[in-house]
Amino acid sequence: MSWVGRAIPLKEAARLVAGRGRFLDDLAPGRLLHAAMLRSPHAHARIVALDVSAAAALPGVTAVLTGAEAARLSRPIRPLIPTAVPVHDWCLAVDRARYVGEPVAAVAAVDRATAEDAVDLIRVEWEPLPAAVDAEAGARGEAPLLYPDLGTNVLWHDTLTYGDVDGGFARADGVLQERFEFSRYASTPLETFGCIAAWDAGTDAYTFWTNDQRPGLTMAILAESLGVPQPRIQLTCPDIGGGFGNKRRPAYLLVCALLARRAGRPVKYVEDRRENLSALMQAAGGVMDLALAYRVDGTLLALSIRDVTDEGKNLISPAQHNLIKLGNIANGYRIPAVRYEAWSVLTNKCPSGANRGIGKPFMCFAMERAMALLARRLGLDPAELRLRNYVTAAEMPYTTPPGAAYDSGDYPATLRAALERFDYAGRRREQAAARASGRLLGIGIATSVEPAGTNLASYEIITGRRAASGSAEAAMVRVEPDGRVRAALGDPPSGQGYETVVAQIVADELGLSPEQVDVARGFDSASTPWLYLSGNYSNKFSVTDTGAVVGAARRVREKLLRIAAHRLEADAADLELRDGAVGVRGMPARVLTLRELARTAYADVLGLPPGEEPGLEARHAHQNPLARPMDAERRVPSQLVFANAAHVCLVEVDPGTGGVKILAYVVVHDCGRELNPLIVEGMVHGSTAHGIGAALLEAFRYDAEGQLLTSTFMDYLKPTALDIPDIDVGRLEHPSPFTPLGAKGVGEGGAIPGPAAVANAVEDALSAHGVTVRALPITPEQVWRWLERTP
Amino acid sequence: MVSRLTVNGEPVEREIDVRRSLSDFLREDLGLTGTHVGCEHGVCGACTVLVDGQSARACLLLAVQCEGAAVTTIEGLTPAEGLSPLQEAFRACHGLQCGFCTPGMIVLAHELLALNPAPTADEIREALSANLCMCTGYVMIVRAVAQAAAARA
Repeated sequence: MSWVGRAIPLKEAARLVAGRGRFLDDLAPGRLLHAAMLRSPHAHARIVALDVSAAAALPGVTAVLTGAEAARLSRPIRPLIPTAVPVHDWCLAVDRARYVGEPVAAVAAVDRATAEDAVDLIRVEWEPLPAAVDAEAGARGEAPLLYPDLGTNVLWHDTLTYGDVDGGFARADGVLQERFEFSRYASTPLETFGCIAAWDAGTDAYTFWTNDQRPGLTMAILAESLGVPQPRIQLTCPDIGGGFGNKRRPAYLLVCALLARRAGRPVKYVEDRRENLSALMQAAGGVMDLALAYRVDGTLLALSIRDVTDEGKNLISPAQHNLIKLGNIANGYRIPAVRYEAWSVLTNKCPSGANRGIGKPFMCFAMERAMALLARRLGLDPAELRLRNYVTAAEMPYTTPPGAAYDSGDYPATLRAALERFDYAGRRREQAAARASGRLLGIGIATSVEPAGTNLASYEIITGRRAASGSAEAAMVRVEPDGRVRAALGDPPSGQGYETVVAQIVADELGLSPEQVDVARGFDSASTPWLYLSGNYSNKFSVTDTGAVVGAARRVREKLLRIAAHRLEADAADLELRDGAVGVRGMPARVLTLRELARTAYADVLGLPPGEEPGLEARHAHQNPLARPMDAERRVPSQLVFANAAHVCLVEVDPGTGGVKILAYVVVHDCGRELNPLIVEGMVHGSTAHGIGAALLEAFRYDAEGQLLTSTFMDYLKPTALDIPDIDVGRLEHPSPFTPLGAKGVGEGGAIPGPAAVANAVEDALSAHGVTVRALPITPEQVWRWLERTP
Repeated sequence: MVSRLTVNGEPVEREIDVRRSLSDFLREDLGLTGTHVGCEHGVCGACTVLVDGQSARACLLLAVQCEGAAVTTIEGLTPAEGLSPLQEAFRACHGLQCGFCTPGMIVLAHELLALNPAPTADEIREALSANLCMCTGYVMIVRAVAQAAAARA
């Protein structure tokens, strides 16, 4: 029986439950200094003068760095998606701050408190400028410009048309038109972003420790900005306390590197929570105009979307929130023609960036809200409308108009299983009875496709040229000289249990148990194989990383078999790996342990087969085979392998307080073969909780001057154990034919349909009040206003 | 000023800067890095420790306020060998993902089970709502605490 597929507890848990994890802030290299940053109090302001002399003179302060100095000592940060006109962005604001919380100077001192005292002594003369806070105004050219050299706040505007959209609308019996808004929110990992930089004067080399999720890309930026060859950049990730896409900020590593170089000592910087909420990374907000052409029987004919993304000051990955929506724009439905008009617009807000599902939650929200509204308009049950439009199992693999390839799955079966698990018919009766007694109960359905593995070739749609492409990852497996096995992966986990799952995969390949496989913690560029594409992002573990691990383990396995065949004088085809040894099938005495084979490989090398290279280590990199370049019609699989899910929930609205309580929540999902069902179920719970938070609680609210009004956990509300129900999870397993183990992505799942499921349920509960949910979160105040309006 | 307190059963006598938080004191001066700092404004509970047996936010306490008190951290709740039943239940039930909130959650659950050895699921949720977890959606944390309580009964 294989280890893959078994629900075994985390190997990592033994240290983490005892408080013996090693997180970034637990690390303290010798002579460590601590950094603090001066941050802009204005959304948009010119730096007229900056005087750091008093800060530099404070006892205990070792180095001070201003933006102007950073611009002299380093090169601009290279964007992942460049703007049409190059815009230089350094690790500190140079002459202008463009959002509240943007760092403009930094101090390194003997401890954090002294560094913060010194920051208070920095004198800045600000010239406040009008702030751009409305992305739509920016799209119309009516907002103050962040970068006058660009001449616009619009980073990308394009209209992509796939199929006969105009014909679809012309043939339609009706068109549903609606406008939806999506707030800025974030998954806010409990550990904030942090980094340590050290500089070695003798070799002009830098060492970094960080919880950055995407080391491959970050190291390229560091080498380029610091002007050193890449071999002189070493980067290590320890245990990472949650990521969800948020944990990336090469600028902070650069600030620490420049301070470390100036001070001649290592420098640590760890965000406080206010810095994290106001300045690290927020999911882009925006508005979306949707038009859906349909026939009276509910058949969908065409979809047209106009999507305006509020990027904040995002110069690293602008338009990513737009582009990724092409991966799930049609959701699980057979829609033959799709038009997508993208606007990516700078505003004076926190940079937007990756956040669990990036763009897909908004796309799914709009589409699944539209399905709920259309069902109501046509007098159809919302489940029935979906069932009439799903891509069916018989149509797999199915390519959507923009080029996304749905590889496998049975979407109608997923919804039917969820309805059955939820007791849909029974709950509808319960709802009717409750309504008769005056209670406001609502049932919400939302279903989703969950793409995994970003194909970076898709950025060509935006930039017009290909830079990076595909989805790939690297891994290493090594039998050590004592016969024990070590593995390492270029993707540093942030809670996904890779030490456990990688051990399960390697154990299967080498005939071991997971306890016999040591998987390296985190990431170390000096010992872990890695690619520019390496990192913990885009849901890629199941669909890309697994191939790297399987490939490396198989190479080691083949070498073990060759060495054993030679030593046992047997045919390799007659050998098997079992219980930490290689033996001849059916002959228990003719066996060599891994320890004995390792001795041959590393020490007694004259015992190797002729021509065999000493050592027992293999590296392998895998690229997902579904990635392709953009074609002439600008179709491209922006994401590669598709899981799917159906969420059905029951909510009750309290007319007295406006509060929404979730009474029942069922998820049925299909992520192909589940590598470890315990980890998978935990991820489904967690991602669904993120969806519920976005639906009911979380929003970064900015005022008209661009001031962030929700910069603490007192006003930016996260769900607690009282807000999340006991989520009931069921599963189907349709393995992907395009991943080495048949697995699909599962990390983003619940966060994609969750907001729509809750919104649909609340709207259903308030159906007698004529409410249409167009924006999130659905706060008690919002509900109260709806009920006040319609007594 | 010089403060005297007990940490995980050991007497500690130190010169402590009056503005040093208990969490910084534990982590940086005593090297007890199992106590994590998640928000520094008393909401997330990652820094939860026991002060004279009661849960407290180590980020909101000054170390000097603990003069004469007995402070217990996750290290103090961990046996020299193996895991406590509560820790074992978190492991077995997958009551953690990234593990950053976990020490605070376990300290909080330890207090709950000391006060209420057989809590209902609702009582567990009520108690755990003091702390934030961003990974698990709480479902398996609630299961872990319930399993630990059942194992003790």
